[in-house]
Amino acid sequence: MQDLNINKVAELAIETGQVVLESGGETHRVEEMMHNVCSGFGFTSNESYVTLTGIFLSIKASDGQIVTLIKRIGSRAVDLDKISAVSRLSHDLMNRNCKGKPKTVCVPMSFEEYSNRLQTIKTRKQYPGWVKYVCGGITPGFFCLLFGGSWREFAVAFIMGIIITIILRNLTKLQLNAFLLNAVGAGLVVWIAKMSGMYIGQMNTDKIIIGGIFLLVPGLSMTNAIRDTMAGDLVAGTARTVEALFISVAIATGAGAMLKLWKLLV
Amino acid sequence: MLEVMDKLWWMQVSYGFIAILGFSIRSNIKGWKLLFTSIGGALSWGLYLLFLAWSSSLLLSVFLATLAVCLYSEFMGRAFKVPVAVFVICSIIPLVPGSGLYYSMIAYIDGRTLEAMRKMGETMMIAGTISVAIAVMSSVANIFRKMLRMF
Repeated sequence: MQDLNINKVAELAIETGQVVLESGGETHRVEEMMHNVCSGFGFTSNESYVTLTGIFLSIKASDGQIVTLIKRIGSRAVDLDKISAVSRLSHDLMNRNCKGKPKTVCVPMSFEEYSNRLQTIKTRKQYPGWVKYVCGGITPGFFCLLFGGSWREFAVAFIMGIIITIILRNLTKLQLNAFLLNAVGAGLVVWIAKMSGMYIGQMNTDKIIIGGIFLLVPGLSMTNAIRDTMAGDLVAGTARTVEALFISVAIATGAGAMLKLWKLLV
Repeated sequence: MLEVMDKLWWMQVSYGFIAILGFSIRSNIKGWKLLFTSIGGALSWGLYLLFLAWSSSLLLSVFLATLAVCLYSEFMGRAFKVPVAVFVICSIIPLVPGSGLYYSMIAYIDGRTLEAMRKMGETMMIAGTISVAIAVMSSVANIFRKMLRMF
C-alpha cells in the first residue's frame, strides 16, 4: 500500500470530508472519516482539524515527507443521503483494509475503487423537483393537523408549503444568506396565512402559521451543535449553536415584522 | 397512563408520521431509512403525549420523549451503518418548539409583554431540554460503546 502517492491520498481524504461537510455532517464524523481514508490507504500518522467553514489536513509518510492541505467550505446544504452513503463507504474501507485480520482474509479496497465510488456519490441524484415540492406541502399541512387544525386549514397549509418551497428553492440560487432566507420564508408564511384568513374566512390562522414555521426550524443545526459539543469539538459546537440561534431569530423577525405590518395596514 | 391512547392519540401519531415522512424526503433520505425516520417522528410525538398525560409536566415529557427517540436512533444508526444524527435530526422535529416561538412573537406584537416573556422563556427551556436529552443519550451511548470494546 505504501506505493500510493501521498498527495493523491490527501486530496481524496479532503474530498471525502468536503462532501460530508457540505451535506450537513457533524465535524467529528468528518474528522473520523478522513482519518479512516488516510489510515486505510496506509498513512497512519495523520491529523485533521475540521470546522464548519474549512478543513485542515496534514499527513506524514513513513519516510518523513509531510503533506498539508486546506480546503475552504463555501456552501452548506442538507443532504442526509450523501452523508449516509459516504459513511457506508468509509465503513467498508475500514472493514476491508483492516487491521487485526490477516491480509489473506480480506481483499483491500483499491484506491481506484474508493475514488470511483466517491465520484458516484458526489453525482448522486436528489429527488426530482416536484417530489420535493409536494413534500414541502405535506410537512406544514400535517403539522397544522397535529397542532389541532382542521382539514380546511390543512388545505391552505399544504398549498402554502408548496409555494414557499418553490420560492425558497429559487432564492437559494441567488445565494442569499441564511438569515435573510429564513426571515423571508417566515414573512411569507404569515402573509399567506393571513391572506387566506381574510379571503376564505373562518380560518384559525395560528395553526397554519405554526405548521409553516416547521418548514424552517433549525433541527439539523440544533442536533449537530449538541452532538459536536459532546464529542469535544467545541469550536464547531459553538458555531452550530450560533447558527441555530440565528435562524430562530430570523424566523421570529420575519414573522414578527409581517404580523406588525398586517396589523398596521389591514 | 395508557388511557390517552385513544382514537385521537392514534390520529396525532399518524399525522406526525406523515409530516416527518415529508420532512425526511425534503432532507433527501432514500430507501428503507425513510420508513424508520418517520417511525421515529411518530414515536417522539406519541411518547411526548403519553408522558404528558402521565406526569403533566411539559419539560419532563419532552426530556423523556427525546431520550427515548435518541435511544431508538442509536439502534437504527447501528442497524443501517449510517451516522446516528441522520435519525435524530428527523425524529426530534415534532418536539422543536416552533409554536412557542410564534405565540411569544404574537403576544409581544399585541402588547402583552409579560406573556411574551413567559412564552419565550418556555420556548428556550424546551429547546434546552431537547439539547440536554440529546447530550445525555450520546454520552451514555459512547460510554456503552467503550465498555463493549473493553470486554
